[in-house]
Amino acid sequence: MKTRLVTALLCLLMPALALAGEYDLTVDRVKIDTGDFVKEGIGYNGKSPGPVMRFKEGENVRINVTNNLDEMTSIHWHGLILPFEQDGVPGISYPGIKPGETFTYEFPIVQAGTYWFHSHSGFQEPDGAFGAIVIEPEGREPFRYDREYVVQLTDKHPHSGDRIMRNLKMMPDYYNRQQQTVGEFFSEASQNGLMDTIRDRMAWGDMRMMKADVEDVQGFTGMINGMGPEQNWTGLFEPGERIRLRFINSSAMTYFDVRIPGMEMTVVQADGNNVRPVNVDEFRIGVAETYDVIVRPKDAQAYTIFAESMGRSGYARATLAPEEGMAAPVPQMRDAARLTMADMSGMPGMDHGDMDHGDMAAQGDMDHSNMSEMDHSAMMAGTSDPFYAKGSGIAPTAANGGKFLSYADLKAQKPLYEEREPTREIELRLTGNMERYTWSINGVKYEDADPIRLKYGERVRFKFVNETMMTHPMHLHGMWSILDVGAGEWNPIKHTVSVQPGTTVYMETEVDAPGQWAFHCHLSYHAAAGMFRKVIVEGGPDSTQAKTEATTEVGGDA
Amino acid sequence: MNLSKLLILASAMSVSATAFAAGAHSDGHGMGSGEPGKASEASRTITVEMYDNYYEPETIEVKAGETVRFVVENKGNLVHEFNIGTPSMHEAHQEEMMMMVEHGVIQGGKLNRDMMEMDMGNGHSMKHDDPNSVLLEPGESQEIVWTFTGKGNIEFACNVPGHYQAGMYGEVNFK
Amino acid sequence: MSRIRSFVAFSLLGSTLLPGAVAAQEMIADTSARKQALTSWGVQFEELEYRYSDDDEELGVWSADFFYGTDEFKVRWLSKGEYAIEEQAYEGLENQLVGQVPISKFFDAKAGVRFDTPEGPDRTYAVLGVAGLAPQWFEIDANLYLSDEGETSAELDAEYELLLTNYWILSATLDATVAFSEDREIGVGKGLVSTETGLRLSYDLVDRAFSPYVGVVHERKYGDTADFAEAEGGGTEDWFAVIGARIAF
Repeated sequence: MKTRLVTALLCLLMPALALAGEYDLTVDRVKIDTGDFVKEGIGYNGKSPGPVMRFKEGENVRINVTNNLDEMTSIHWHGLILPFEQDGVPGISYPGIKPGETFTYEFPIVQAGTYWFHSHSGFQEPDGAFGAIVIEPEGREPFRYDREYVVQLTDKHPHSGDRIMRNLKMMPDYYNRQQQTVGEFFSEASQNGLMDTIRDRMAWGDMRMMKADVEDVQGFTGMINGMGPEQNWTGLFEPGERIRLRFINSSAMTYFDVRIPGMEMTVVQADGNNVRPVNVDEFRIGVAETYDVIVRPKDAQAYTIFAESMGRSGYARATLAPEEGMAAPVPQMRDAARLTMADMSGMPGMDHGDMDHGDMAAQGDMDHSNMSEMDHSAMMAGTSDPFYAKGSGIAPTAANGGKFLSYADLKAQKPLYEEREPTREIELRLTGNMERYTWSINGVKYEDADPIRLKYGERVRFKFVNETMMTHPMHLHGMWSILDVGAGEWNPIKHTVSVQPGTTVYMETEVDAPGQWAFHCHLSYHAAAGMFRKVIVEGGPDSTQAKTEATTEVGGDA
Repeated sequence: MNLSKLLILASAMSVSATAFAAGAHSDGHGMGSGEPGKASEASRTITVEMYDNYYEPETIEVKAGETVRFVVENKGNLVHEFNIGTPSMHEAHQEEMMMMVEHGVIQGGKLNRDMMEMDMGNGHSMKHDDPNSVLLEPGESQEIVWTFTGKGNIEFACNVPGHYQAGMYGEVNFK
Repeated sequence: MSRIRSFVAFSLLGSTLLPGAVAAQEMIADTSARKQALTSWGVQFEELEYRYSDDDEELGVWSADFFYGTDEFKVRWLSKGEYAIEEQAYEGLENQLVGQVPISKFFDAKAGVRFDTPEGPDRTYAVLGVAGLAPQWFEIDANLYLSDEGETSAELDAEYELLLTNYWILSATLDATVAFSEDREIGVGKGLVSTETGLRLSYDLVDRAFSPYVGVVHERKYGDTADFAEAEGGGTEDWFAVIGARIAF
């Protein structure tokens, strides 16, 4: 017990004693070569993606960021728990970093896992300003691996972010090349009958909604670690090794369905936090999310990491192989997804089926006490993911017919917070108008919105109601999002929560970080169009209070 | 729970039980992991602590023919298994364990022992009473006495779904 | 446990380094571009084409739209022209400058002025209109005009796009003008004045920025307007073959 006390004291003192790691980052104009095209972009230390920042839990980091651009910049440490002034959101955390200036971030690393960093200024992030963060834990991890790779996905587009935003405002379907055609009409008519097909087209035409509105921005090249499908990033392994793949989706707009044909993946972390291991054949990674998986290639052959976009308009590809130059077949992309009326069911004034199913699913069905009553065959086939509207056209299934990861499978390996009743509920309706390309929360764009005010110490239950036909990855800065998967204290903690069309998703937040924070949809052009809020956390611990708590903590431990 | 699923489960378990029996008695082929031993013959005691999701220790050394008394303690927050076998035996057993999870026998940190006892027809149950393994709730502890009859590729492993894949296994090295 | 411990450490550190950081009034206000209304602009030539008629008339025609503004208010400059190549004269030339505000989910209201400066007498109009997307994907632009001569008229533009593929697009357009009073000087009779219907097959060659097309256009004058045209020795109906490109940037 004595040693534990000393250790505890050391741990307490270490960050304060500036046992600091010092890091330098420059923000530069760079060339990005996708293999399909070369474009000017923004990167760190001369390239995009920037370097993998490797921190250690418990250290106090100093990061000197030098802005070599001729415009303002910023870096946000996505998913890191830190003082709000260090969060890197211009206008909310700080003013930003002026051209030619060096800004020094300084904060303690209080967590471990896979995260990423990116600019929070303008469209610098879609233009390439991002990199990975890997934090080594203080103790041992609840899993083992022989080697690890960061697998950072992005959707590199030939157009600049500003140009894309402008084009979307001018013609919301500017980039949509998966719209329903005359040919599709006839093939559907021969399959479902002419009258049904006409009725279906009329119903959608009446709403002025497109079944094909799954991906706003198509025409990108999917990239992994800065390499396009033809450039084929390759990670080496020895047969029989366990490899930890740290998947990060740094896309501006694109969800990816990831699989490695011939290999099962064991998901061990989501958004940097340990989850109970789940074996899957495929998973969907939302924009800004991270998943760590462990794979074990037994044979001396190449394996393809295949990540096709949710709307099947593009893909990223990489290879795991025993030696450079080996490659495995690259699968064909599956057919483009089509929304269904179920995905529209969240829209006000729509009465297309059961409005509550998204709600119900996350609430009751997944409760452990009901486990034995569940329909396992349906669950195994992956066709009834409770986080998609019932009958959704975009609910994923595994290419090999196996297990597709659902949010419902994510259970915290070890709860970070004690479970308690939320102090209140805040409803956030995710709203928008595709034809005007406006995106908002509760019908109000950021420019017109008041901040969301939270009180330090409360536990808030957020209710997301997606009234649009698009998926929105909602990202709260500074505090964890405890995603309600119906597992009580085992609910996983995340930094980004995807809300599918026509569904209601709940998350809870322990309001433990004073200051002001950003809260927004992480699709770059949705955030810029107004699906964004400032959150103000009022109150907080004063210094004496914090010291008392610290003493109690040490005392209790001894 | 419907009947057809029970039948599938029961038949799957009987198949792998046969496989296990075949493995366990195929000494000399280097395929088996050994056999249950008598406590009186145990040369020493090894305490194996189970955490989420790893063992301490992660390697043990034995002599061919040695009988070891294992004291297995679950110090984690989840249900864990300590199972002595070859990698292929573990792989086969993982399918059974998957079914136990799907049928609510293993629920995170809890074991539904009533359901384990339930008669599934054909004289089968989800008892999980093979002599080469123990399945423990958090805080529980149990002993196994095992004789490592011959050298082989033997691991002790937790076959709760995902745990083995995540690295919850240990190596048995023969001196 | 380590996380909780570090968290306490962090609050310790945080509270010593940043005393009073939590006071709301000390926090900055968001004056970044994000908090401003997003301004956007765009240029589109729905038509930029060469027309060749069944009686050998050659025309250069455009219909363009420039906008600048926010979701709440846009300024739009609409320009339409018909240039007779042989005569070297503008048969039609109109420019509208309108302000545009949203009035419903899919429709905007417009108000502004229109200047017609073709060969012959000029006119200035006050414009009041609505534009937007009607059910079943019809793009509608309907306008009321009041001229400086006191004459009133109305115009309806409708367009429907049929996607043969995601790159080959067949678009049908209808443009109809009705006058509520006669304006003899510019050859407009009361009642249905004229229609222009078009069918164009385009291919998106460069994104949606450059889409060449071929098509046919039918122009017809009606009633008194047709009579006025005939009296001046002009035709009342024309068929054109057209070739051109849609442009957006």
